[in-house]
Amino acid sequence: MAASTTSTPFEVYRFDPSKDSAPRYDRFTLDLPAHTPVLTALLKIRTENDPSLTLRYSCRSAICGSCAMLINSKSRLACQTPVGPELARHGKIVIEPMRNQPVVRDLVVDQKPFWDRYRKIEPFLKTDARDPMPVGRENPMTPEQVDRFHETPRCIACAACYSACPAVEADPEFPGPMALAKLYRFVVDPRDKDSKNRLVRIQPEGLWLCLRCHLCTEACPKDVRPSERIRDLKEMAIAAAGVSEPGSRHAVGFKDNIAEAGILNEFKLVRQTYGPMDLLRQLPQGIKVARKKPEILKKPDPIEGLDEVRAIYKALDPDAEDR
Amino acid sequence: MKLAYYPGCVAQESGKELDMATRWVCRHLGIELVDFPNFSCCGSGFIDEANSILNVALNARNLAIAERAGLDLLTVCSTCQGMLTLANRRLEEPATKARVDGVLAPLRLSYSGKTKVTHLLGVLVDTIGVDALRSRVVRPLQGLKVGAFYGCHLLRPQSEMNSESAEEPHSFEDLISALGATPVLYRGRVMCCGFPILFVKEPTANRIAGRQIDDAKAHGADAMATPCPLCHISLDSFQNKAEHEVGHSLDMPVFHLPQLVGLALGASAEELGLPRHLVATDAALAKVARVAVPT
Amino acid sequence: MHRHDVVVVGAGLAGQRAALAAIEAKSDVAIVSKLHPLRSHSGAAQGGINAAIGKEDSVDTHIYDTVKGSDYLGDQDAIEFFCREAGPTVIEMEHFGTIFSRAPDGSLARRPFGGAAFPRTIYAADRTGLALLQGLYERLGTESFTMYDEWDLTSVVVHEGRCQGIVAFDRRRGSFEEIAAKSVVLATGPCGRVYGRTTNSHTSTGDGIAAAYRAGAALKDMEFVQFHPTALLESSILITEGARGEGGILKNVNGERFMARYAPHVLDLASRDVVSRAIITEVREGRGFPGPYVHLELMHLGKEKIESRLQEICDFCRTFAGIDPVTQPIPVMPAQHYMMGGIGTNIRGETNIPGLLAAGEAACVSIHGANRLGGNSLLETLVFGKQAGIAAAEHAARAPAPSVDPADVAKDAATVDAMMRRSDGEEPQHLRIAMQAAMDSKVGVFRLPEELTAALADVRALQTRYERVRVVDSSKSYNLNLTDALETGHMLDLAEAIVVGAIARTESRGAHSRVDFPKRDDANWMRHTLATRGPSGPVLSYAPVTYTRWEPKERVY
Repeated sequence: MAASTTSTPFEVYRFDPSKDSAPRYDRFTLDLPAHTPVLTALLKIRTENDPSLTLRYSCRSAICGSCAMLINSKSRLACQTPVGPELARHGKIVIEPMRNQPVVRDLVVDQKPFWDRYRKIEPFLKTDARDPMPVGRENPMTPEQVDRFHETPRCIACAACYSACPAVEADPEFPGPMALAKLYRFVVDPRDKDSKNRLVRIQPEGLWLCLRCHLCTEACPKDVRPSERIRDLKEMAIAAAGVSEPGSRHAVGFKDNIAEAGILNEFKLVRQTYGPMDLLRQLPQGIKVARKKPEILKKPDPIEGLDEVRAIYKALDPDAEDR
Repeated sequence: MKLAYYPGCVAQESGKELDMATRWVCRHLGIELVDFPNFSCCGSGFIDEANSILNVALNARNLAIAERAGLDLLTVCSTCQGMLTLANRRLEEPATKARVDGVLAPLRLSYSGKTKVTHLLGVLVDTIGVDALRSRVVRPLQGLKVGAFYGCHLLRPQSEMNSESAEEPHSFEDLISALGATPVLYRGRVMCCGFPILFVKEPTANRIAGRQIDDAKAHGADAMATPCPLCHISLDSFQNKAEHEVGHSLDMPVFHLPQLVGLALGASAEELGLPRHLVATDAALAKVARVAVPT
Repeated sequence: MHRHDVVVVGAGLAGQRAALAAIEAKSDVAIVSKLHPLRSHSGAAQGGINAAIGKEDSVDTHIYDTVKGSDYLGDQDAIEFFCREAGPTVIEMEHFGTIFSRAPDGSLARRPFGGAAFPRTIYAADRTGLALLQGLYERLGTESFTMYDEWDLTSVVVHEGRCQGIVAFDRRRGSFEEIAAKSVVLATGPCGRVYGRTTNSHTSTGDGIAAAYRAGAALKDMEFVQFHPTALLESSILITEGARGEGGILKNVNGERFMARYAPHVLDLASRDVVSRAIITEVREGRGFPGPYVHLELMHLGKEKIESRLQEICDFCRTFAGIDPVTQPIPVMPAQHYMMGGIGTNIRGETNIPGLLAAGEAACVSIHGANRLGGNSLLETLVFGKQAGIAAAEHAARAPAPSVDPADVAKDAATVDAMMRRSDGEEPQHLRIAMQAAMDSKVGVFRLPEELTAALADVRALQTRYERVRVVDSSKSYNLNLTDALETGHMLDLAEAIVVGAIARTESRGAHSRVDFPKRDDANWMRHTLATRGPSGPVLSYAPVTYTRWEPKERVY
C-alpha cells in the first residue's frame, strides 16, 4: 500500500528562552504521503533532522491531548491533522505553539493558567451527606440522562479551545471553553448535588464573557462543542439565578425588548442593561453616535403582526405572564 | 432574482446606511427585494441565550412568512443569517418542530422547512458570481487594500451554518478581488468583534475589537469591510474606545459589505450613507477616487 | 531535596489509585510523572472494565475465565482476590463520578468481550479508560498531595537493602533531584515501545520497570507479550475488542469468516492470543489482503450502533485510515498491545525490595499469566493500585526516615553529563528504531529459536552502541532529546529481558508461541520466569504458580 509522496515544506517555530533572544522559524522539507499526520512528520524531523525540536506528544491517536499546536494558524492536534489538505491550501505547513499560553520551549507551552482556570470551576462531583449515594451499587442513570452530557465526556483537555478563544486572550476572568464545558458536565450530572449553586456562582465568575463566536467548537478535536454547552449554561443560569449580572440582564432585557415592538428599541436596550451610573458614563459615547446616527434615539414603530409575536412569547416565555 | 428582504433591526435603525447601500446595490444588479413589514427581530443571539425555544419559534414565524410568499430570504447581517439558519437546523429535530408547530398553528402559521436563508455575500459570490460582478464594475477599487471581517455567525458553527470553511473562508476575499481591491489576509478576519459582550464588559469587548483592527492594519489594510452591522458597531462606532484599549490610534475606515460593492459599481458616498460612519472613510475613498466614474 | 512518606511514580489509573489509597491512610504523598495525569496512557483504553455484576454471571465464572485465559499461568489466589474486588471497584468509580454507558433500566451497561462466558465488560462508549481517568483525577483533585509533573524517573534508590526514594529529572528546570521516600510505588505503565508496531503511546517506555530492574528487583514473565488482533494498519492504532463485542467480524481475502476454523464456538470473540495467531496464520497461508492485512467488518451493525457505541473508533478510522467503518471494512493486523510481565509483586504490590512497590501494567502480580483477557487491565490498575497504596502507607508508617546520599543524584547527573559532552556518538532515536525493528521482526506472535537468538544479538549490539549514546541538544530547558536517551536505555534492558525469557521458555503457552515447541508443557513450564539483572544480562530463575481450585485443562474456545 505504498502511497505517492509529495515534497512538503515545513516552517517550525523555534524558541528556547534559556538561550535565544528571539523566536525563529526553521525550514524543513519532507517527502510525505498526503495522509501523513503532522505529528508523524514532526517526529521524522526529530529523528532525521533535528533531535532538539521540542514538543509534547504521547498517544498519537487523539486521546491524550498532548500535541495541540497551531497548524497554519489553526489550533489542532498534530496527530489528527493530515498534511495533505494543509499543503493544498497553504503550499506549506507552518507549525507554531498554541496561543494564550506562554512558550516554555519551541512548541511546548506553559499550561498552568489553563489548569488553574479549570480547577476554579471545582471539577469534581459534589455529594450531600443528607442525600447519600446507594450503598454497594451504582447510582441509577438512564441512557437519556447520559445523553444530556452531550459530547462533554469526550474532552481530552488538549486546550485547543483555550488557544482559539478570543475571550481567553482578552480577559483573565473568563474561565475558558474547556472549563465551562466541564462545568456543564457537572451541572447536568444527576449525581451532583450542587448543580444549582454552580449555576449561581458562575454568573459573576465569567460565564457571560463568552462571545459565542464558536471558535472553540471549530477548534475542538473531539466535537465537544463547548460554545453550545456554554449557551445551555447561560439559559440554565438564568433559570436558576435570574438576572444577576450585566450579561443575563442584557440577554433577558433583549428578549423583553423585542416583545414590545417585534423589533429592537436600541435606546431602551441600553437603558435596560446599564444602571444609572453606567448610563451616565456612556453619555459622551452616546452623543457621539447619535450625532451621526440619530435613529438610535427613536422609538421604533411596531411591526405588523405584533400580536403574533406576542402570542409566541405568551406560549413559550414564562416571563411573558409578568408583563 | 426576487428575494424576501430581511434587513434586521440595525439596518432599519442606527445602521440605516447598510439598508441604503443594500437597496442601491440590489437595484443596480437587478435583484428585486420584497419587503415584509411583519418580520420580527432574529433575536441577535441574545434571545437564544435567554430562551432558546422562543428564539427558534420567533424565527420559524419569519421563515414561515417568507415560505408563504414563496420566496427565499436575503439577509444582510451575519447574526441574522446565523440565527435564521440555526432555526432551520433546530426545526429538523422532531421534538423541537412539534413544539414550535404547536405554537404557530393557532396563529394560522405553518412552516415546512423550505425557506432558504442566504446572506448578500452568498448571493453576490455564488448566485451572481464573481466574474459577472467583475464585469459590472465601473470604478475598480484599485490600490485599496481591504481586510474582510466575516462576523462569527455567518460561518460558525460550520456544521450548523453549512458554511464554507469556518476558519479559512475565502468568499469575501474573492468578492473584494472582483471589485478590483486587494484582499488582506490576517488572522483577525475570522475572529470575534467583541459585540456580544459590548454591554457586559465594555473594555474587554473594545480590546477584542481593537486587536482585530490592529491585526488588519499590521497586515497592510487601508480599510476593513464587514457583512455584519453588529461588527460594524464594534469596529466603527466604538473604534475610539478600542483605540483607548489598545493604547494607540487606529484610524481604520470600516465599510459595510454592500457599501464596498456599491462604490465599485459607481454609487456616490452619499448614496451609500458613508458620511454616517464614526470613522471617516475619506482617506480610503481618496485611494480609489483617481478612477473617474463614467456618468 | 524533596521528602515524602510515599512517592508514586506514574499518574495513570494505577498511580492515581495508589496515591488516593495512601492519602486516605494519612501518608504525605507525592506523585511524579513524565506526563500530566490526564495525558496518561490509561486514557487510551477503549473497551471496558470487567466485573461480574450481571444476574446470570458470577465471580467464580470471572475467576475461571481469567484462569483459563491466562493459560494457567495466573496465580489463582491473586485472581480470586482480583475478581472479588471487581464489583466494588467499579461501583466506587461510578460513585467518584465516572460516566459509564447505561442500560435502559438505569444500571451499568455491559458488553461481551473475548474469553468471557457472559457480557461482563462495563464501558463508557469506547473510551472507558478516559472516563475512568477523568473520574479518578476529579476525585483525587479533592485531596492534598504534591505533584511533580513532567519529571523523568532515572533511578530507584536502594541503600541498606531497602528503597529510600528516587532520582528524577525535572524537565522544566533541567535539574536532577532526589525525592526521598519511605515507600515508592512504581506505576509507570508498560514498555510497549520496545516494539515499533504497537498500540501503545510513544511514552510507554517502561521507565519504572527498568529502574526497578537496575535497582535489583526481579522482573516476572517478561516473555509474555500480548499482541492485540485488531490494530489499524500502518498506524497500529488500537481498534477495541469492543468492536467485535458489539458484533464485528473478521474476514480474509476470500470473504471467509475465518475464525470458524480456529475457535468454532466463540468465533471472533476468542481470547486475544488465539485471534492474533489466526490472523497471522491466514496471512502466512496466503489468505490475507496484500499489505498484508485482514478485514474487520462492522457495516452490518448499522450506522446508529456504530456511531454511538464505537464513536472514537469511527473517528480513528476516518481520520487515520481514511476509512468509514459504516460503509467500509477496517484493515487490521495484530500489534503489540500489553505486557503481561513486569515488576514481580505479591497481591499487596510489594516487590522483593522492602519499600519498593509496583502496580498496574508495570507490575506482574500475576493475574494475567500468559495471556490477559480484555477488560481485565483497567480493573487491575484500580484493584492493585489501591492495594499498593495501602501497603505503601503501612510500610511508610513503620519505616525509618529514608537515608539519602548526594552521590545518588551525582551519579545520574554524571551519566547524562557524559551523554551531553560527547562530540560524536549514537543518536538515541536511531538506536530505538533499530531495537523496534528487531523486536517487530523477530519476537512477534510466532517465535522461532533462530530468530530469537538473532534478536538477542541485535539487542546486545545496540546496548554496546548505547554506551556511546549522545544527546545533541545542549539546552537546560525541556530537553526532550535527553528524555529520548534515558528512555532508549531503559527499553534496551527490557528488550533483552523479554528475549532471554522467550529463548528459555521451550513451550507454547498463551501469548508465547514457540514454533519449535507448539504444545503447552505443564510438567516443565508451569512456573513463572524471574529475571534479575546480572553483570552480563538477565539471570533467570523460576517460581511456582499458585493454585487454588482450578486444575489445568486444555484451552479451547
